[in-house]
Amino acid sequence: MSKPAALLQAWSVHKTYLLGRVEVPVLRGASLGVQRGEFVVIQGASGSGKSTLLHILGALDLPEKGTVTFDGRNLFAGSPAARERYRNRDVGFVFQFYHLLPELNVLENVLVPRLTGQSFWSWQVARGGVRRETEAMLERIGLADRAKHRPAELSGGERQRVAIARALINRPTVLLADEPTGNLDAVIGGEILDLLVELNRAGQTIVMVTHDAGVAARAHRRVVLKGGVIQEG
Amino acid sequence: MYKWFFAWRYLHTRLIALFGIISVTLCVAMVLIVLSVMGGFLDTLRERARGLLADLVLDAGLLQGWPYYEEFDAYLQGQASDIVGTTSPVIHNYGILRVPSSNYTKPVQVAGIKLDSYPKVNDFRRSLHYEKYYPGSTTLAPQRQPFAGFHDDKLVLPEALQEANARWRADEKDSKAIKEFDALPYALAPSPGPRVYEAHPDGPVYDGDEWPGIIVGNDVINRRESDGSTLRFFPRGSLMVLTLVPITPAGNPLGEQPVKLFTRQADDSRTGVYEIDSRCVYVDFDMLQHALAMDAQPHADGGFTAPRTTQLLIALKPGTDLHAAQARIRGVWEQFLLSLGERPTADEMQALRWVDIQTWEDMQRPFIAAVEKEKVLVTFLFAIISVVTIVLIGCIFYMIVKNKTRDIGILKAIGASNRGVATLFLVYAGAVGVVGSILGIAIGAVFVWYINDIQALLIHLNPKLRVWDPSVYSFDTIPHIVKIVDAVGIAVVAVAASIVGALIPARLAGKVWPVEALRYE
Repeated sequence: MSKPAALLQAWSVHKTYLLGRVEVPVLRGASLGVQRGEFVVIQGASGSGKSTLLHILGALDLPEKGTVTFDGRNLFAGSPAARERYRNRDVGFVFQFYHLLPELNVLENVLVPRLTGQSFWSWQVARGGVRRETEAMLERIGLADRAKHRPAELSGGERQRVAIARALINRPTVLLADEPTGNLDAVIGGEILDLLVELNRAGQTIVMVTHDAGVAARAHRRVVLKGGVIQEG
Repeated sequence: MYKWFFAWRYLHTRLIALFGIISVTLCVAMVLIVLSVMGGFLDTLRERARGLLADLVLDAGLLQGWPYYEEFDAYLQGQASDIVGTTSPVIHNYGILRVPSSNYTKPVQVAGIKLDSYPKVNDFRRSLHYEKYYPGSTTLAPQRQPFAGFHDDKLVLPEALQEANARWRADEKDSKAIKEFDALPYALAPSPGPRVYEAHPDGPVYDGDEWPGIIVGNDVINRRESDGSTLRFFPRGSLMVLTLVPITPAGNPLGEQPVKLFTRQADDSRTGVYEIDSRCVYVDFDMLQHALAMDAQPHADGGFTAPRTTQLLIALKPGTDLHAAQARIRGVWEQFLLSLGERPTADEMQALRWVDIQTWEDMQRPFIAAVEKEKVLVTFLFAIISVVTIVLIGCIFYMIVKNKTRDIGILKAIGASNRGVATLFLVYAGAVGVVGSILGIAIGAVFVWYINDIQALLIHLNPKLRVWDPSVYSFDTIPHIVKIVDAVGIAVVAVAASIVGALIPARLAGKVWPVEALRYE
């Protein structure tokens, strides 16, 4: 029986960075297919281009060559507006350094992606429902009592939970996580990982970049980026 | 929606926005104060300048005047009675005013007016000092000097003046005006120094020879103090002598000797325009016309020359369009000239050809235009200063964008568009402009409303801090009216300027590449 078509597919992606005047090729034809509901981990040495590939998969960066398709659509053949919609609705990002907005409290940080997709008037209609949904999300990640706190008042693990909640608030098809436990101690990192695994079991497709072999072991599939290309682990 | 949300959030959480708000506030307040004071100055000037003329003025600009004005007046009433209200002829000439009691001498511009019609075409009556407090007492007819005296141990004026003053007191609704009158330095002793009436040993009487009345410009004989009050050194009814040079219809001096007119000071006039109040004296039209030989003079062929005037003032009926009336009366004037046929002499015809019908604005244009230019210049200078605010807003927003690069990256990672992020910063700048404008208008308006109290406080602290000298500007108080249209206009420009100032930083914010921004720490 043939494999079903990948939900998210990178085809021979190339990317080069300029370091001063020197061109450094990072991706040299990396290809990766992610099936719906899959939990894929990308590993590789430092500077191997893991985060770059993740950013390209999330349409945060542009490849020089190659294509990326999501649900059969070429992400980079469409308009910038289509990529913005993709980032807002189809994928959610979790970063190593959380990247929460310091002026907003936990509740507001989580509902920002919802705000981004609404006009002024549609928000007036939707705000009550969105607020309840956001509170439910905070309940789910165990931060309901921290809703009014600013990021600076939270621990690292709590901040990452908020970041995960923010990434999930628009119910994206794919969660892209870049070293989500890299900045946390083993216990807290383990809790975050447990949360991701639980989400995956509930059907969430996850692509995660990590150094940690222990973390990688919890995924369905592990791939290694080496020499700018993907090698199945 | 996120644009509004973040603009509002940044507005009250980012300290740096406060600097933007302060700079807009100060700029708006500054421009509003300047525009209000300069605009008020100009409006007051215009109103007062208009108050001295009439809607339309027939003037040849010739010292010798122009003839047939009475016939034209009758002709005009026949042709355009639907638009013409009151008319009043005025003679303007130059002379020397001398007060014999002190040998005080001054060159003056002499206006011959008809006191029954002249105040009907303009606001002249409002400018009179004694007429205000003793209504009905000012006349240009021959009169004697009123003296004060003691009656039942009280210093009183002749009965007619006492009654007039009592009438004014009874009619005056403004208790402040009564207080002002009571505070006037009504020193009556026949000693040097300020006084308004002379005292007489025989009690309150009219005494001395009868001479025609003269109304003297306030600044011709009185002294205005820096606090706006007026010191009167010549009591009412003082003898004043005018020396004039009559001029023939051809513009030559008539006779070898100038003409002397003996008059009594009936009142003083303060129109509020220094150039007028420091030069003009007003006497009876018929008397001046006769003194200047501008009345009907015998001809060599046995006839009489036509009486002359230098101006004919026309007050239009309410609701009449000024410029349409001007055009129509110009037509009536041309018809009138044709109707005169061969009657005018060559010299008279020359004078008639010089007559033009001007609006009061045309007449005062050189005077008002100078102040208007001053207002434009000052506004322009402050507009340049406002450009500094735009640059400042630009700098502040550049710093904000640099400071918020990571936030911009996060917003883009969750789907915010380039245009959306740029709009966010423009909304933010607009909000800074709106808050700054509201505060600026509030501060500016309060400052303008209390500008005279602020000056009073400064003078109280140190008299040298006086910035508005009424003896120079002729107005007692600094104009203190804020026009809503000015305030709204300034606010709109300030908000627009704030947005313009943030254009480049907003564009930079829109161009931030999300991956680069997320690496930015």
